[in-house]
Amino acid sequence: MSKTYKMIVCGVGGQGILTITDIIVIAARKKGLHVLGSEVHGMAQKGGSVVTNLKIGEKLHSPTNPIGTCEVLVGLEQNESLRYMKFLKPRGIAITSNTVLFPISWKKDKKAADNAKEKIEENITKFDVKLVMIKAENLAIEAGLALTQNIVLLGALSQVEEFPLTEDELRDALKQRVPAKYVEQNLKAFELGIKTVKNL
Amino acid sequence: MVKLEELFANEENRVLCLGNEAIARGAIEAGVQLFAAYPGTPSSEASTAIIAASKKLGFYAEWSTNEKVAFETAYAASISGARAMTACKHVGINVLADALYSAAYMGTKGGFVLLVGDDPHCFSSQNEQDSRWLGVSAQVPVLEPSNPQEAKEFTKLAFEISEKFESILVVRSTTRISHARSDVQFDKYETSFREGDFEKSNRYKCLPALARANHPKLVSKMETIKEWISESGLSVIEGQNDTEYGIITSGISYAYVKDALEILDKDVPVLKLGMVAPLDEKSILEFARDKKNIIFIEEVDPYLEDRISALFIQNGIVPKIHGKCTGITKKYHELNSRLVAEALQSVIGGKLASVGEIQKAEEEITDFIPFRPPLFCPGCQHRAAFWELSKVVRKNKGIFASDIGCYSLDPWVTDTILCMGAGISMANGFSRVIKDKPIFAYIGDSTFFHTGLTALANAVYHKANINVLVLDNRMTAMTGFQPNPTEVIDIADVAKSLGVEYVVEFDPYDFENGKKIFEDALQHEGPTVIIMRKICANEWWRQQRRSGQKIEVYHIDPETCIACGTCIVQYQCPAIYWSIDTNSKGKKYSVIDPSICTGCSVCSQICPVEAISKAVDTDE
Ligand SMILES: Cc1ncc(C[n+]2csc(CCOP(=O)(O)OP(=O)(O)O)c2C)c(N)n1
Ligand code: SF4
Ligand code: SF4
Repeated sequence: MSKTYKMIVCGVGGQGILTITDIIVIAARKKGLHVLGSEVHGMAQKGGSVVTNLKIGEKLHSPTNPIGTCEVLVGLEQNESLRYMKFLKPRGIAITSNTVLFPISWKKDKKAADNAKEKIEENITKFDVKLVMIKAENLAIEAGLALTQNIVLLGALSQVEEFPLTEDELRDALKQRVPAKYVEQNLKAFELGIKTVKNL
Repeated sequence: MVKLEELFANEENRVLCLGNEAIARGAIEAGVQLFAAYPGTPSSEASTAIIAASKKLGFYAEWSTNEKVAFETAYAASISGARAMTACKHVGINVLADALYSAAYMGTKGGFVLLVGDDPHCFSSQNEQDSRWLGVSAQVPVLEPSNPQEAKEFTKLAFEISEKFESILVVRSTTRISHARSDVQFDKYETSFREGDFEKSNRYKCLPALARANHPKLVSKMETIKEWISESGLSVIEGQNDTEYGIITSGISYAYVKDALEILDKDVPVLKLGMVAPLDEKSILEFARDKKNIIFIEEVDPYLEDRISALFIQNGIVPKIHGKCTGITKKYHELNSRLVAEALQSVIGGKLASVGEIQKAEEEITDFIPFRPPLFCPGCQHRAAFWELSKVVRKNKGIFASDIGCYSLDPWVTDTILCMGAGISMANGFSRVIKDKPIFAYIGDSTFFHTGLTALANAVYHKANINVLVLDNRMTAMTGFQPNPTEVIDIADVAKSLGVEYVVEFDPYDFENGKKIFEDALQHEGPTVIIMRKICANEWWRQQRRSGQKIEVYHIDPETCIACGTCIVQYQCPAIYWSIDTNSKGKKYSVIDPSICTGCSVCSQICPVEAISKAVDTDE
């Protein structure tokens, strides 16, 4: 592949953002592709807003993706997807979980929170992007492990046209990365992610 | 993160790892024999990896109590002929500076490397100080890698250069290098270590007369290194020769320049400096001599720009300078390839896609996006401690000098956070000029041993009327749960032996007791020391899960809950959220997420209507 594939994964600290990047990176390496990522460690991990940059390709220099450059955004939480939407290039693909985690400023006002929640999607559409909203939480529960929401999104990601890794490659890397006792649920979550996108 | 075995497997291999892990591998390949460090983002993973490897490879490594102790420990090993290394975050430099500046005069024997992680953009830090200046102020060579592979090579090389010139070598990384992840080529390495031997010499005593003699030697050593760099291959010129423009850069900024030139579709010569101090004057002058414009691309301070501009004047060459002085990049925050492309475009032209539409959308939504600051974990003992404390402090209109650690996240009472160890000393200062209010200091166990000890001794010595609250969560939590002396030294014993008369301990989850103790402490002339001891809830929770232990979580009765918000809005435990549906009275109620509740019980103690209790056992 000659073009550099740029993407970001975002969410709230603790949602398994690094796991997604790990799996992608493992699969890319196995395929012989070069990867360069930039991660967030330290302070922000504690329930703060977290974003990870990833580049897959040949000539990789800087580890971050600036505004308007990413092919894909994978968001584990709607507010966070919105926060980082600017990094997508025009008509880029936003794969977003419909999960909303209330930051403390919203918890203070129950009504405002409900109102705001309704407006997130409307705000996302202000960007010229292709939005793929996924009920990741429900699907993860269906897969038998609520913590696999990230993997549901990974399944969806595998269906993106031009994404440089195939379903099988991601599946292999997934098996390698997640704890042995949860492989089954994770694979199920992955399949469910694939299925919802196919059914779109 | 890479598996430990992979990190130090003695074979050639391409391994996917963090920049910091690549640095650790570099140190291992160089045969580091003694490693001592104090944690700090973004340097910690390098230290964690080296310390973990030391056990397998049979060399000595430790988490020291602070950066100065770490530096001095490593320095002694170096002057005994062993290869030694220390690591810290940028502000750690301030702590070890006293040793560094004089050690630079005295020089080294076994290779000595100081890894420093700078943090442009303050991702996890209190300032953006730029460690490249050490090259000028402390007169030590500074290497600046531009990607993880180079981070490994430069670390290895640093040991060699250090030995060649008997000089301390600084390897300066930044967050985007340390926390970048890519595939890095690992090489085989020697596993035999040298026997240490200290050769007695006046060189290692920084008495005035000897220091006066050492300084000229240091100056000429830096001159020698300067001559050597141009042959070292550390300065690299890329791109077509051109007399109009030239770009000078180093470190991560070089990566941004490469991307930016590709974006702009421009070919402009770039001089990349691998060593930023001393400056490779020969290569720089050769590069710039025939050029009309020199563009500097660097993060934060105009370090290269100011120093190289001076060099130009000294050598009578007068290119037009573009950089911080012309405002094409800022003197703060990090760069990225877009910012650099914009900066370069303003000088060399080229095409750059507009992001106007995106910026417009962004403007429309900015106010809508909620601020999401990092929070204490569910069950955090700091939160529990602060809850009780905040009431006592507010009631008495107290002043609250906090410190640096997870407790910096306190949303309620903190008045000051300056640097590690400053809480107790600032409380002392407050107490001298503010007479009618109680003064509190707050400090964690790691910070206590880091720089709190000396401040407490001072407070005792001068009879400061302050209340020192130590939260002993049994580890250095903020930077990744590193161990520290609290494992073997009891802070209560320390306080008592320093002469503190009022020393009490209690469990921060036990509010009844806490309330009494705080009120009681205020009746005592200080300093008082109140120790709240409880293992970090996050680490405890992970240990429980790992060992398959059950966690007794709490549960909220929807019918009893009056949705007052005490647990959610005021106490702010992240495990509690508002219900989606309503109870039989048509009201929302609060719900505990059993997958993250640590069962600390605090919410049940503060609930005004006793709606919260231990959950009845259901199989998860
Ligand atoms: C001079 C210096 N070194 C290192 C750091 C990085 N750092 C921030 S908080 C912290 C540890 C705090 O540990 P402790 O006081 O025990 O509090 P905890 O996080 O465990 O609550 C460290 C090492 C720093 N900010 N300044
Ligand atoms: S890591 Fe430990 S000390 Fe830090 S906020 Fe979480 S529970 Fe509290
Ligand atoms: S018991 Fe209450 S305060 Fe403690 S972690 Fe669980 S929900 Fe949070």
